[in-house]
Amino acid sequence: MKKHLILGLAVAAGLATGFGLDPAHAQKKSLVIGMGSADAGKLDPHLASTTPDKGLLNYIFNGLVRVKPGQASPDFIEPDLAESWTTNANGTEWTFKIRSGVQCHHGYGPFSAEDAAYSIKRASNKATSSYSGDFAALEKVEAVDASTLKITLKNPVAGFLGYVANINGGNMVCKKAAEEMGENFGKKPIGTGPFQFAEYQPQQFVKLTANKQYFRGAPVLEDITYRYIPADSSRDLAFQSGELDMIYGKQDQTWVDRTSKLPGVKVKAMEPGELSALYLNITSKPLDDIRVRQAIAHAIDRKAIVQFKGAGSSREAVSVVPSGYLGTDEKSPLYAYDVNKAKALLAEAGYPNGVTVKTIHTTLTGMQTFIEAVQAQLKKANINLEIELVEHATFHAQIRKGLSPIVHYQAARFPVADVYLTQFYDSASNIGTPTAITNFTFCNVADTEIRAARVEMDAAKQKALWKTAQEKLVTNVCGIPVYEQLQLWAWKDNLDLGYELNGSLNLSPPVTEKTKFTK
Amino acid sequence: MTAFLIRRLGFAVITLFAVLTLVFVLVRIVPGDPAQVILGDQASREAIEALRERLGLNLPLYQQYVVFVWGALGGDWGTSMMTGRPVIQEVLNVLPWTLELTFLSLLIGVVIGVPLGVAAAVRRNRFTDYAARIGSLLGLSFPPFVSALLLLLAFSIGLHWFPVISAKSGSLSAWVESITLPAINLGLITAAYITRVTRSAMLEVLQEDYVRTARAKGVPWSVVVWRHALRNALIPVITIIGLYLGILIGNSVLTEIVFSRPGLGKLIVGALNQRDYTMLQGMMVIYTLVVVLVNLATDIAYGIADPRVKFK
Repeated sequence: MKKHLILGLAVAAGLATGFGLDPAHAQKKSLVIGMGSADAGKLDPHLASTTPDKGLLNYIFNGLVRVKPGQASPDFIEPDLAESWTTNANGTEWTFKIRSGVQCHHGYGPFSAEDAAYSIKRASNKATSSYSGDFAALEKVEAVDASTLKITLKNPVAGFLGYVANINGGNMVCKKAAEEMGENFGKKPIGTGPFQFAEYQPQQFVKLTANKQYFRGAPVLEDITYRYIPADSSRDLAFQSGELDMIYGKQDQTWVDRTSKLPGVKVKAMEPGELSALYLNITSKPLDDIRVRQAIAHAIDRKAIVQFKGAGSSREAVSVVPSGYLGTDEKSPLYAYDVNKAKALLAEAGYPNGVTVKTIHTTLTGMQTFIEAVQAQLKKANINLEIELVEHATFHAQIRKGLSPIVHYQAARFPVADVYLTQFYDSASNIGTPTAITNFTFCNVADTEIRAARVEMDAAKQKALWKTAQEKLVTNVCGIPVYEQLQLWAWKDNLDLGYELNGSLNLSPPVTEKTKFTK
Repeated sequence: MTAFLIRRLGFAVITLFAVLTLVFVLVRIVPGDPAQVILGDQASREAIEALRERLGLNLPLYQQYVVFVWGALGGDWGTSMMTGRPVIQEVLNVLPWTLELTFLSLLIGVVIGVPLGVAAAVRRNRFTDYAARIGSLLGLSFPPFVSALLLLLAFSIGLHWFPVISAKSGSLSAWVESITLPAINLGLITAAYITRVTRSAMLEVLQEDYVRTARAKGVPWSVVVWRHALRNALIPVITIIGLYLGILIGNSVLTEIVFSRPGLGKLIVGALNQRDYTMLQGMMVIYTLVVVLVNLATDIAYGIADPRVKFK
């Protein structure tokens, strides 16, 4: 009996602590973020390729330059680890003045031009980086002295500063730490940012603590717990119960509507928009006939898709490049919705009774509902879209083998038109070739303009080239851009991010030294 | 008994080997490229090919197989292709979470299921029986993730008794807070199975001659039920517990996800989605090992429950 009593008391005590407030919560110096993935991937900034990993690494690392927190456009590039920079007339030589007094995390010493040079070499190396392709034009990088970094390029690169900004290969690692840890760098990433890596619990969280020596000043927050919670509903419930202060939203409008109604909560649909587009393989039948492609383009009602996806979290596409990028043609000649015209074009192409086209598609919910909506729209124009659903990794493998004549892809890239055009429409990126990236269309109509714009130093001429490229791609129906999905986040209104949030290049809101709880 | 054990272990080794080979081939037949997943969708084909070479994926299949089996025999399960951490370490990190959840929910299942099943059989076609049958039918038909969400809504959001993120550790109270809802969630479902099996086994036994004899010679009814009848009804119950233990370890994935707990289920789903070949291979060995061991334990438990069972 006594034994039972003790056990009962222990259980009761356990339950009772559940009522009390977490002491860390009471002081509100600890930020808990809920991310929609099951576990951490590679926490090496030059290898990380998923939104959850990139979001976390953003709190740990700096670039030579950065996009101002809360913005997602290269117009807002400002100094980060480099105080200032100069370039020669044709943009092939860049000299950066590295800030002095910056300390690497965990006592790895001061950050110098030597570290910066090492970092860029590391990011441009196939063996240590997923982003080596971004540095294809790199000829030489050297530390002239402790505070001067010189980068020499083989040819000018459009929007070069973007590649040394605080994202992907532009993240600056500390040489001593990276050399010491080698392949294990991702287990304890060392950077210079406002927060430093402290602890990893598998399938649970990564904990970061404040970098008190941060060069912009010690962070107000003491630590960040970055929790991995894959189930959307569990993340919502934990947010509601106060266990999470900020969450990655379920990417659909019903989530926005529901979450906005919670008391004391801010919901934001932020930049960048991920462009959802259909890529048509112009070498496959019947898509080799431009009239069939035009029919498909005319049969898709962008306005209805945006209504379906939710006006607060999505918007119509404007071009084959997402809106707001440097060089986007915001008024490209997209095909207007016209079912009759679509039918007429099909008849003209020899398909008076309609036509059947096929796509291999992922089972990712957000993408799947889109393609089903498109399927319903196409049906009205007698276009039968056969959808073969496969799991996500299979989808990525099969579309790269050219098995899907129509590919639906949803992506955001560094916001310079060149990146999107190169990856999706330059014939050098054709799938199946050694330099393949994601050109599923086999289009080459805009190669000349895309390649000329890449090395054009005159901004106006460059813009004109990009505009022509987009016009050609749209009119030839290589790709059919449909809508853009914004990034959905929510946080408690007692959390002051310390900046105005319009967007974030890595798709997660930055947490800076100024981020704090107001109560 | 010893000969029996040795023979069973021999079978276990063969089973393991067969499963290993099957998994090795199957994960490679499924389309999808680990190198592509690792490098992300902007990687060039050159970078992907370079990584495939580093991971040894460009070798002919038989060579990869030899490398794999050779390593496995030496106790080296390789490192996860995605995280670069050793497979064994990744598994051991989360194994305790899965084991505690599995055994606790099994315990809850037995503690509730066996008495309920007995009571239902003894009071056949009366209120207790109907209540137990309807209750267990509900338990069987409820998908675990729905019941998990309902539990969270009621006890975490409504009453604030438990955290939504059920993965605290460090102190007894934190542990109790974290394990209670997940264990109840899986435990009730397990109880539903056990109730039904116990009930039907008991019904059969209660009609045996020796039960009538025992009652006729004046043995108290509770002794007849609990000592004579239940003991003889245990074999099917043990079978279902053994079977269910294997199922629980595999099926706890939904519970793990909804309660945000680490666990083997999440690990294997993640590895599958990312085509983490080495991880999948390592995990399959562990699953097979667990199932084989549980089956062995079930066989031994038969002998303890019923001395007439001979180990041949």
